[in-house]
Amino acid sequence: MNNTAEKNKLSPRRRIVNFLVHLLLAVLAIIWVLPIFWIVLTSFRAEPGAYTNTFLPQGYTLNNYIKLFTDRNVLNFPKMFLNTLIIAIFCCIFSTFFVLSVAYSLSRMRFGFRKTYMNIAMILGLFPGFMAMVAQYFILKAMGLTEGSMIRIGLIIVYSACTGLGFQIAKGFFDTIPRSIDEAAIIDGATKWQVFTRITMPLAKPIVIYTVMTSFIAPWVDFVFAKVICRANADQFTVAIGLWNMLQKEYIYRWYTCFAAGAVVISIPIAILFIYMQRFYVEGMSGAVKG
Amino acid sequence: MATISLQHIQKIYPNAAVKERRKKKGDDPEKKKNNLKITDEGVVAVDDFNLEIADKEFIVFVGPSGCGKSTTLRMVAGLEDITRGDLYIDGVRMNDIEPKDRDIAMVFQNYALYPHMTVRQNLEFPLTLRKVPKEQMNKQVNEAAEILGITEYLDRKPKALSGGQRQRVAIGRAIVREPKVLLMDEPLSNLDAKLRNQMRAEIIKLRQRIDSTFIYVTHDQTEAMTLGDRIVIMKDGEIQQIGTPQEVFDNPVNTFVAGFIGMPQMNFYDGKLVKNGDKYVIEVLGAKIVPTEDKQKHLKERNTPEMDIIVGARPEHISLKNVDGAMMEGSVDVSEMMGSSVHIHLNAGGHDSIIIVPTLELGGQDLSYGSKVRFTFAPNVVHMFDKATGENLEYK
Repeated sequence: MNNTAEKNKLSPRRRIVNFLVHLLLAVLAIIWVLPIFWIVLTSFRAEPGAYTNTFLPQGYTLNNYIKLFTDRNVLNFPKMFLNTLIIAIFCCIFSTFFVLSVAYSLSRMRFGFRKTYMNIAMILGLFPGFMAMVAQYFILKAMGLTEGSMIRIGLIIVYSACTGLGFQIAKGFFDTIPRSIDEAAIIDGATKWQVFTRITMPLAKPIVIYTVMTSFIAPWVDFVFAKVICRANADQFTVAIGLWNMLQKEYIYRWYTCFAAGAVVISIPIAILFIYMQRFYVEGMSGAVKG
Repeated sequence: MATISLQHIQKIYPNAAVKERRKKKGDDPEKKKNNLKITDEGVVAVDDFNLEIADKEFIVFVGPSGCGKSTTLRMVAGLEDITRGDLYIDGVRMNDIEPKDRDIAMVFQNYALYPHMTVRQNLEFPLTLRKVPKEQMNKQVNEAAEILGITEYLDRKPKALSGGQRQRVAIGRAIVREPKVLLMDEPLSNLDAKLRNQMRAEIIKLRQRIDSTFIYVTHDQTEAMTLGDRIVIMKDGEIQQIGTPQEVFDNPVNTFVAGFIGMPQMNFYDGKLVKNGDKYVIEVLGAKIVPTEDKQKHLKERNTPEMDIIVGARPEHISLKNVDGAMMEGSVDVSEMMGSSVHIHLNAGGHDSIIIVPTLELGGQDLSYGSKVRFTFAPNVVHMFDKATGENLEYK
């Protein structure tokens, strides 16, 4: 007993280092959590306005949330929320499909243009997406997707169409699945499609979930494209534009706390998706092959 | 019930880069790279492979890495396209038939189990794809598991198994649907030496229990010798020799086969074949060895002229018994006491050679470094190879 106790005892030097490391981590954690904590607090704040003299609210209320969902005259938040949710769901389905098919084919198949395509994709990826903003607007306009409810379709296209270019991470993951597993399945009698659905997909769960998550989040956080394509069509606004509008001069005093509430609300679907998805994570590839 | 026939099988990997480079330099089109022939079409990985495999035969492809043995196996499996030539299984041409319709199964070197499925699901997978009814499936899975002794692991995932157990599961998945042809691509190479011996024995047993034709790929000549009914020895994409283990051991057709089969490997010495009257005599390291009658006959039939040869003798065919005029001398580098025999590493006329001497025959021989040892080969097992081509003079 004594021996083990003594062994577990750390040297003073070690203790000091440990203490400093934990202190640093604690400070970092507080810095990281503080804004989130603050926005949640603000969303329950009773007094209006952007500027207050105290960190903690003087009074607490649920009115900000109630107002957010009931006051539809000036800024129709429920409608924006719904818009974004619809766009996010479709975008999520389409982009996941695009990303996975591009990544899988680049990882598993060999064809003429493959290397060149990957190089082009990488170079294109170096340019920020909104460089093409104006061009995209005119293309969508030519297709008649910039008016009325067609804007939603326009946004879905904008958010999902180019995601195939972001195949690198998924391809990297597919590359780690040994080809001999595919070959074993082919010999066992599986078609290419069965190999994909019954072998590759279950093994690639983590990356599928990653792809689903990122493509679902994109429409919630994008402001630039939504702003360009919606312009003044308040009916089609996504939450990002709505929240931005709450911070405009004419609204900020009455809507500031609702803005905080809105920020909390949009994290809910993302959180739900994450909690639902995380149980599909598998521990990885060990056991498939010698390793 | 499956015979396999490989006729003039050829595999060429098109390699545009090589072609262009050569065009610029104007190199000789038959130039070899990595010992593989490169033609205008690309790199020839397997060239003119001909083999008839009888029903339920156990064929082993053996050769050093890069010799095309795995490529050939994968062509039989349908994982690689056949560039030229015909593959028949039971008389049906298989070149353009999908792997799943060939009724073959394959065991991979790295097991290739499905990690997200339990052992049972792994075994069931080929059966579910063939829509075998549940009851029959259970029966077949249990049978296969029993044969391989993996019944108690059926509900585990592959990652909870050891290497040997995983390979058993992989074999189980291959035999569960009773394929006509069972292909094995270096199945034991990932196992440690002890397990490998054990699994080798199990494969021999397995073979007696199932009615498949086996093709087994290995680079290990011991596996080839112990498992195969016939061995196909390959080098640089070409077949060197096909024969039973005994045949390839006793009558290697060239120096490559002679050196590859047998452990420790055959000793080679530069020598001369001369005629003394109507008898051939081998002159090697100052000794004169007269081959036995049947060897003389073989040489005479082929009307072999006098020439420079490579003399090959297996370590176990070398003896220290004194034979007049036929003794060679070497100096000891190392001697290894193995118990019943001693492996003596000698330097004889500039050639490293190994001789195996039973401990009893050793007498008072001094085996310290640099001491002289006199030895001879038995004239009935000495091999003569053309120095220029490496071919065995008796069988060319």
